[in-house]
Amino acid sequence: MSDATENVLTAPVKALSPNRQPTTALSRLIARGMIVWMLVALIVLCRILYPGFLARENVFNILSQNAQVGLIALGMTFVMIAGGFDLSVGAIYAAGATVYAMEAKALPLPIAALLTLIVGFIAGTMNGLIVTRLRVNPFVATLGTSSIFGGAAYLFSHSAPVLVDRPDFTELGAGKWVGVPISLLLLIVVYAIGWLVLSKTVYGRSLYAVGGNPEAARLAGLRVGLLKTSTYALVGVLSALGGMIIASRLSIGQADIAGTMSLDAIAIVIIGGTSLFGGSGAVWRTAVGLLLLAVLTNIFDALALDSNFQSLIKGAIVIGAVALDAFSRRR
Amino acid sequence: MAAFAAQHRTAGPAVRLRNIGKRFGDTVAVEDVALQIAAGSVHALVGENGAGKSTLLGMLAGRIAPTEGEIEVFGQSLQTGNVRLSRAAGVVAIYQELTIVPGLSACANVFLGQTRSRFGFLSERAMHHRFNGLCERLGVAIPADIPAGELSVADQQILEILRALQSEARILLLDEPTSALAPPEREALFRRIRELRANGVTVLLVSHNLDEVLAIADDISVFRDGCLVRTAPATAWTKASLVAAMLGHAVSHAAKRRAPKGADLVLRAEGITVPGKIENLSVAVSAGEIVGLGGLVGSGRTTVLRALSGLEQETGGRLWIDGVERRWPTSPSHALDLGIALIPEDRKQGLVLGMSAQENIVLADLGAAASAGFLSERRLRDCASNAVRGYAFDRRRLSAVAGSLSGGNQQKLLLARWRHRPPRILLADEPTRGIDVGAKEEILSKLRDLAVSGLAILFVSSELEEVIAVSDRILVLSAGRDAGCLNAEASVADILAAAFSL
Repeated sequence: MSDATENVLTAPVKALSPNRQPTTALSRLIARGMIVWMLVALIVLCRILYPGFLARENVFNILSQNAQVGLIALGMTFVMIAGGFDLSVGAIYAAGATVYAMEAKALPLPIAALLTLIVGFIAGTMNGLIVTRLRVNPFVATLGTSSIFGGAAYLFSHSAPVLVDRPDFTELGAGKWVGVPISLLLLIVVYAIGWLVLSKTVYGRSLYAVGGNPEAARLAGLRVGLLKTSTYALVGVLSALGGMIIASRLSIGQADIAGTMSLDAIAIVIIGGTSLFGGSGAVWRTAVGLLLLAVLTNIFDALALDSNFQSLIKGAIVIGAVALDAFSRRR
Repeated sequence: MAAFAAQHRTAGPAVRLRNIGKRFGDTVAVEDVALQIAAGSVHALVGENGAGKSTLLGMLAGRIAPTEGEIEVFGQSLQTGNVRLSRAAGVVAIYQELTIVPGLSACANVFLGQTRSRFGFLSERAMHHRFNGLCERLGVAIPADIPAGELSVADQQILEILRALQSEARILLLDEPTSALAPPEREALFRRIRELRANGVTVLLVSHNLDEVLAIADDISVFRDGCLVRTAPATAWTKASLVAAMLGHAVSHAAKRRAPKGADLVLRAEGITVPGKIENLSVAVSAGEIVGLGGLVGSGRTTVLRALSGLEQETGGRLWIDGVERRWPTSPSHALDLGIALIPEDRKQGLVLGMSAQENIVLADLGAAASAGFLSERRLRDCASNAVRGYAFDRRRLSAVAGSLSGGNQQKLLLARWRHRPPRILLADEPTRGIDVGAKEEILSKLRDLAVSGLAILFVSSELEEVIAVSDRILVLSAGRDAGCLNAEASVADILAAAFSL
């Protein structure tokens, strides 16, 4: 499988020669591992610059801080492999945070959580139906729904932060289980399941086909619309879950927390090397992309560098990753 | 122009290849080819897919750099591997995928990239004048202002040729120029090619259609496995000797005709109507029968197949499968549930080129290679391997990316897909387009095998000889209507007569 779906990404070695034959195993290994080498280099650099970097507490810290964006990026990986795109995840994330906080004031936590996930599911399904049924370009569709979901979150919370004052509310975002942050455990479990589903199941394989050539997938009898919609629904649920985690961590549900969440999630997927054009990518790639950005942020924070400088570097990395993708697509 | 042409004839051959070779890694695509192409001649390159013709064309066009040997154009040594230098030497290639901008006018397309202007303003009059002059030279009449997208594929191709002429091309490389054209359009293109030759242009042509090649070329070079087998004047070749040279051995027609059974109607569709395309057409196919759809390009053959597989949204009509009336399918998955499978006109439409060959085969029923939703790579491979059993398909290539396979092998993947998930009715649209002789024979004989195994098959091909060779009955379409049903003994002339009758 990975041979096929990542062939497009086997990168520059292939691109340099006008040669259509498969590249040698060695060059493929180097090219595929490139992003991993980058991550390793960065971690070594961090360790040198900042001796406490690999300390248990710091590692847990880095990872659990990035649990929200990590969950959303995983869902985005599914969406993008199936040939879609979703700009509304930030809005669903914010809506998830406010809905969860509001519900938690009145209802038992598990029910509040379930309701929030359902809201995320409905929002994502809406995106999927708009894209597949109304045939609106995903970019435009989710730009529109982003505004709708964001606006709904403000209306729902009357534009005010929703403070939650109950001790069990902070468990999800700040609690630990056997010394490990619960949000981190959640992240790991979701990534493991995501990897399994995408690379080992009929459903996962069908997503690659849908993203690689929707017409061919349709002719082979796959339910292209349904499959695509399912990925939007998935990212909707994971975005709402991300919102729950942040609300829990801050003990506040706020409609204005989206910030650059959508773009960050997309950036992680792209940096990992999952194609913007659908049909190729992998969960491990997104995991590496997430770690790369997380480590970068951590080291910038540790060195007390201006956060605007961080944003600048992040942007450059995203462009570099996409340029590399485009470069590897050329013969 | 005549003087111009004469000058070239005296200058010796238009192209001289000296021991040209090209390796891709360990694969030898072209080996030690020495070839001269006379100025002002039409020279055809034939051979199976992968024989090296297209690579050779690519090297001449500067798209591919040879790994050995040299190329001379009109006596001047050509620096290889540079499209601009090849163009400057007068070599222009026209590929199967046309490079027309649909929204621009015919005239603007011809001057694409070489727009004439004065002080930054377009010189529309000068371009129109030159456009009309070029049209006259080729003996065609295309309105200068019509958007290129509204022209037929044949006319778009003419635009490409006009563009080449406008940039003073002296050597024109045509890769499979007729594969998308109907017979009358092909004839028209040949007239243009003869016109070009009369104007002193040298034409180098790659084609799978041997009748065409014999009719149009002055000289024919046959390639096999990257080597030049033989170059000789067209008059010295016959179709049989060409095929024998291409394959290295003589072949017999594999696709044999079989008497229709008559009974057991598997597919019966009546009153098929697709607004603007098909009008009140009826089709019936029995188990074990191949029904060919004859007719010109644009007569609605493809539309019929698309309608039956649920791809035409506004289809009307009644449908019976195995004698039971069914609702008309509204999507390919619905059609598949009814047992109707389509091999689309363009194989790239049917394949996920970035996925492996085996995944493409099993795609229509991935569940067969899975338990509880989890795929087993080994079972996937076994399923695919089973589906290509008996095909000339190297099983080691099952894990190769579909996009890296030759056209013939890609087509085999599509056939194998429906062997993996056998439908009741198979709709095969141009399954042999643009593939080599060996693969063509194989695909036709496999279609036959599928019919023998009890499938009902509807078959469309622009090669009418093929339709006759493989079909039990031929339904001729003309402008979306039934123009007569012929039996297996019909000739090409019969089909054309029926097709032109309306």
